[in-house]
Amino acid sequence: MEQQPIVELKNLSKTIGKKKIIDNLNLQLFPGQITGFLGPNGAGKTTTIRMMAGLMKPTGGEVVVEGQSLSDHFEETMSKVGVIVENPEMYKYMSGWKNLVHFARMNKSISKERITEVVEQVGMQNRIHEKVSTYSLGMRQRLGLAQALLHRPKFLILDEPTNGLDPAGIREFRTYLRKIAVEDGVSVFVSSHLLSEIELMCDRIAIIQNGQLINIREMNQVEEAHYYIEAQPAEKASELLIAQGLFIEASGTGFIAKVEQNQIPAIIEAMVSANLQVFAVQPFRKTLEDQFLEMTGGGQIAESHKK
Amino acid sequence: MLNLIRNEWMKLWHKKATWIMAGLLVIILIGITGISKWADDHTVQPPDQPTWKENAAERKAYLTAELANPNISDDTKKQLEEELTITEYRLTENVAPFEFSDREQNLMDSYQLLALVLMFAVIAAASIVASEFSQGTIKMLLSRPVKRWKILTSKYVTSLLYALALTIIALIANVIAGYIFFDAAGTGALLEVRGGEVVEISYWSRVLALYGLQLMGIVVFTTFAFMIGSVFRTSSLAIGLSIFLMFMGPNIVYFLRNYEFTKYIMFTHTDLTGYLTGNMFIPGITWPLSAAVLTVYVVLFLVISYWSFTKRDVTA
Repeated sequence: MEQQPIVELKNLSKTIGKKKIIDNLNLQLFPGQITGFLGPNGAGKTTTIRMMAGLMKPTGGEVVVEGQSLSDHFEETMSKVGVIVENPEMYKYMSGWKNLVHFARMNKSISKERITEVVEQVGMQNRIHEKVSTYSLGMRQRLGLAQALLHRPKFLILDEPTNGLDPAGIREFRTYLRKIAVEDGVSVFVSSHLLSEIELMCDRIAIIQNGQLINIREMNQVEEAHYYIEAQPAEKASELLIAQGLFIEASGTGFIAKVEQNQIPAIIEAMVSANLQVFAVQPFRKTLEDQFLEMTGGGQIAESHKK
Repeated sequence: MLNLIRNEWMKLWHKKATWIMAGLLVIILIGITGISKWADDHTVQPPDQPTWKENAAERKAYLTAELANPNISDDTKKQLEEELTITEYRLTENVAPFEFSDREQNLMDSYQLLALVLMFAVIAAASIVASEFSQGTIKMLLSRPVKRWKILTSKYVTSLLYALALTIIALIANVIAGYIFFDAAGTGALLEVRGGEVVEISYWSRVLALYGLQLMGIVVFTTFAFMIGSVFRTSSLAIGLSIFLMFMGPNIVYFLRNYEFTKYIMFTHTDLTGYLTGNMFIPGITWPLSAAVLTVYVVLFLVISYWSFTKRDVTA
């Protein structure tokens, strides 16, 4: 990646009491890229996000936005950042519109027209003048997104953004994020527990466990080619595949074989000439869930620490 | 900064409690004045009430006797002498004081009812920071390109503006109550010694001065509640503690009044109206001392508030 990163976490650490919550985290986030942030409960996702949003101070290292340190240049850097931390808690006793006016006043020069534009972008124009206490969770999420976008941030931090959205809302949200990433070059950082969501939404994922970054990968990166092959009778098929020198693993009624793409035609030919009935030969990718569980070693919650 | 204050002001007046407190203030103040008028009208007066002249003559004798006492302090002596001068002036020039049943006197006494303003101002100041934490909106508020000290300043200024607004509302309510329930004095004037001369002063200037002094005490308590609210981040504790101290503080100080250190306790100085009415709660304190002590406390409360608000992590 030859681009300059928008946001850089440099040796970011947070110690609370004697417990290291975040340990020397290094991460670069680039324009136009949506990065997913995954980790088991208690791994330090929220702490990391709060340090990036200026809500917590790191005990070591720094958050750098376009070359400026967040803690030294708070106002300049934060004006480039849009944040939704966990559920977007709004002032329930005011209308959605007044909430947006409130947040707009905390930035420099946001016009009424801009607020109207953002309200339309998130599809809230019909209910915007009603009190937030009458909104559903999904509508609050939309309002939360609206307040994060008001000042056209270059960097968007989203913590569990699709929580409470209906399927249509989730798809709309995903399309919208993709659009601002591609068209405006916004860098998006999304934390979520919904792995399938992250899989559909992100270009790249970062996985954190026990306060340390254990993996960063591009989503379209294929480390090893695997194919799913289904043919009958199964025993004959397995013999044939092993004879071809492939490493196979049974999966349902077929096999997962570790095989390069250019070998596939030869294998199909071999199976056909051996009079096997070939039902399927398709590229196989492990789901993100499988990979995630493999990497983080299952479901146990990270070691406890005092908040 | 102006925008931040506008934000806080907007949020404050969108809360129901803010309107309820302002409404209650008006209702209670007018109600209390009405009840006291009613009670006064239904008290059977003994037939031979002394006239103001008889009262003044009696007071004059008392003051002369007091002044003869060699043990009184200089401050007290000066105060008694002034009162004696005024009393003598009233008798020789035949100038009556205001009566209790005069509208003017009622308004001059109404500053005592500002305890209610103090209570409501404390409630608002205690919740202005704490409610952001309890509702979770603090995360939204602090992840903006605005430094934390500016946000806290806007909240403090708004708390003070609300206290001022309530004081003005209380003054208006008391004036309205005065016009509803009391008649203007037929005769009667307020006298003061200025540069050795006895002069008649407008009762309005006295009313405003008393309200202004009360407002200073209110500011001190409001700052205290603001501090507790921003340090502990829960409004109930801040409200409870402030109101408890507001009622208990003066009693504790009165109980300990013979010790020198009570001069440096906040509660000794939170009621400054004594400097005008002459009813000093702890004898021997002076204007500069009160001003210095209150300033030190307010600065201390603010330093603690700012330190806590700008340095601590948000985990709500």
